[in-house]
Amino acid sequence: MRGLSEPKNPPAFQIHKRSRRIFGLSREEAIRAFFGGQALVAVVVLALITVFLFREGFGFFAQQRAELTRYRRSGVEFVDLLRAQEKAHGELGRRLGLRGEAADRFADAIVPLRALLGELGEWALEIKESEESRADGAPTRFGEVAEITAQYPKIEDTFGELTAQLGTITESSPGLSPEQRAQLEKHLSGFGATLAKLRAWDAEKPVSGWQAARSFFFGRQWLTASFWQDFYGVVPLFTGSLLVSAIALGLAVPLGLGAAIYVSQIAGARERSVIKPAIEFIAAIPSVVLGFFGIAVLGQALRALSQVEWLAWLPGFPYAERLNALTAGCLLALIAVPTIFTLAEDALASVPRALKEGSYALGARRMQTVARVIVPSALSGMVSAVLLGLGRVIGETMVVLLCAGNRIAIPDFSAGLGVVTQPVHTMTGIIAQEMGEVATGTIHYRALFVVGLLLFLIALTLNYSAQKILGRYRLPSLR
Amino acid sequence: MKMTKYNRSAEPKTPALFAAASRPVFGRVFECGSAGLLRAATYFVLCCGLVVLGDIALKGGRTVFQAQWPFVNVSFLTQAPESLHVFEYAGETHEMGDAQFRAFRANALRGAGRAAEPSSPNISGEQGSAVPAIRSQSYVYAAGGIWPCIVGTVLLVSGAMGIALSLGIGAAIFLSEYAKEGRFLRLVRLCILNLAGVPSIVFGLFGFGLFVNFFGWNVSLLAGWCTLAVMVLPVVITAAEEALKAVPSGLREGSLALGATQWQTIRRAVLPCALPGILTSSILGIARVAGETAPIMFTAAYVVRDKLPWEVERLGDFFFQGVMALPYHIYVVSTKIPQNAYTARVQYGTAFVFLAVVGLLALGSILLRGRLKKTYTW
Repeated sequence: MRGLSEPKNPPAFQIHKRSRRIFGLSREEAIRAFFGGQALVAVVVLALITVFLFREGFGFFAQQRAELTRYRRSGVEFVDLLRAQEKAHGELGRRLGLRGEAADRFADAIVPLRALLGELGEWALEIKESEESRADGAPTRFGEVAEITAQYPKIEDTFGELTAQLGTITESSPGLSPEQRAQLEKHLSGFGATLAKLRAWDAEKPVSGWQAARSFFFGRQWLTASFWQDFYGVVPLFTGSLLVSAIALGLAVPLGLGAAIYVSQIAGARERSVIKPAIEFIAAIPSVVLGFFGIAVLGQALRALSQVEWLAWLPGFPYAERLNALTAGCLLALIAVPTIFTLAEDALASVPRALKEGSYALGARRMQTVARVIVPSALSGMVSAVLLGLGRVIGETMVVLLCAGNRIAIPDFSAGLGVVTQPVHTMTGIIAQEMGEVATGTIHYRALFVVGLLLFLIALTLNYSAQKILGRYRLPSLR
Repeated sequence: MKMTKYNRSAEPKTPALFAAASRPVFGRVFECGSAGLLRAATYFVLCCGLVVLGDIALKGGRTVFQAQWPFVNVSFLTQAPESLHVFEYAGETHEMGDAQFRAFRANALRGAGRAAEPSSPNISGEQGSAVPAIRSQSYVYAAGGIWPCIVGTVLLVSGAMGIALSLGIGAAIFLSEYAKEGRFLRLVRLCILNLAGVPSIVFGLFGFGLFVNFFGWNVSLLAGWCTLAVMVLPVVITAAEEALKAVPSGLREGSLALGATQWQTIRRAVLPCALPGILTSSILGIARVAGETAPIMFTAAYVVRDKLPWEVERLGDFFFQGVMALPYHIYVVSTKIPQNAYTARVQYGTAFVFLAVVGLLALGSILLRGRLKKTYTW
């Protein structure tokens, strides 16, 4: 109604409150913005990590492409095709296991090729190095590559000699078994393909960016600081990581899930109050201490165990390398078990009691209830626990750096399950090992960043899928 | 209706011959067997943990503890690492640290030199003949102590936790008090969860690329602090949020009803109530920060450094110096020097000290959290 307004206070009692506004916000709003900014830090950091890894990593592919172009144009690739033949010869010799005169002749057969290889190799290396160190505007030596490829007739002759030599070995050694002969035949028949490749090799064929990417993601060799040629292929490291993780999960999943089922379903309250903190305490053991334990005690213990006679039937036993994938895998299992245990136990404990009671009411035994009612309903939690354990194990650095043997080569899977006793190197280990030795901005530095990027994406994928499976949002590291 | 009492003894009894067949034997065997298997799995895991801890405690204890007062090998904890010299002199084998060895050798030379004075009839002017040549086998880092490493770790942890707590508690306050359900909140929570799953070596790489190279700080305390803080941030945020959520909403409502603003409510009613919980939960963060090697490997840690962190010329230099750290020292001592009886001493001693520190922090965190969970029943 008109005229009905608030009674005005007499002047002495009027409230004069000036509200201060900072940047147009009242004090409360400013405080809210301040805290909001702090919450934003997590977003900013994740974005920064992504941006940084991508930035440094993508520079790698451009540099790798230039590197591969130089590799091709200086003729080093051509020589490497020959070198592959020499390596295959050596491997064949090892596989055949020849003895006596045949072995000597086999070793002598490769000598002409090796000499040719040495000569051409030096030449190509000179061309490549002169290209790297020449001043701008100075003439390039790439033209000389044509002279290297012009040596093709000589290469053909050498191959012909080699074929003849291997033929005489086959004929004059009566003690050769049919498999050995078959292997020799196969080796000889591969010569045609190699010669065709050498004939078709073109120094000026351009290297595409796709090829540069392929050389990283599918390259089977990681060789750095070599005087010949650096190769940045991630396959040996990736298989090393996978192998060690597989061993670790193979040990940790049964133990972790079994312990979770025991503690949540079978153990009494007092036992539970002892076991749970104890396993959480195991989670707090720093990984470098576990790595040290592996070097000092576990490696030797496992090796001694493998030398025991009545265990010789196990694949891979006995072995001589103290530090290998098995040692690292066992320690990683010890790291993964608390993660898997905590999350699986949470999942099992949050199954509604009504399910359990209903099952008992229908007359089921305890283990029947557990196996048929409780575990299936907590399955998503248990799967998510295993995935997070896998993420933890793939990202673990110090244990693998100390205990896995640090041999950068694809493990020999022809040994079957015995592959676990071979030394491997992992993605995390290579970053930790080589980061201290690289100069900023070099291709090696960028390659390590790409490996880090790969790790980051793998960990993010595992984390995300684990959360999706779990269906609710929880932090794995706490609790 | 009349209810007759159920007469148990009037039940038809199973003949004794068939009594065994009616008992579910397989079921019971399966029950006991599988329960036993699961119990074995659980205790096997605990056993493994115990073996690791026990081995390091036993062998490390030999270096760190001693039989006489003060029962702790104080020199191990308060000296810098130095090389161990093992040599033979006068028919006995001696082991000495570097400084002691040099003094010993100087003494021995002086003693032999005195015997070579003109009054002695044996020496005919050849300086070297009467001086005993002391050939020593030296092992790097195998003598001395780990004092700089302890100092470095303490500095790294305090700085990192300082940064992480200030950022994390602020973020948690926002997430639990101020934020409304919406895109921004979901994004922040998603980022926190994903940040928690990133491997520590990627943090090291990120810290190396950003703080060391891009910002140009080089291997420094600052770079180490920032890298470690970023790594432990998700843990701190989650812990703080838990503690804040445990404060009953009645406290907030009462404060607001009395006319306080939101910030006043938080500052005077919520935070004091939640602070013990926040600090207790962040002890686990401290254990993680102290225990991580990979983030500090290229951002803050040096293999060896002869100056202690406070021996700087300018105050500004303090933040831009690298330090030695316990976990990195364990790594160096395990890989860069051969394994033998002499190096095992310092290896196990360092591992024991490190494990003791981290273990006590973790144990404290677990026990205090368990105690606090019980008091959260309002």
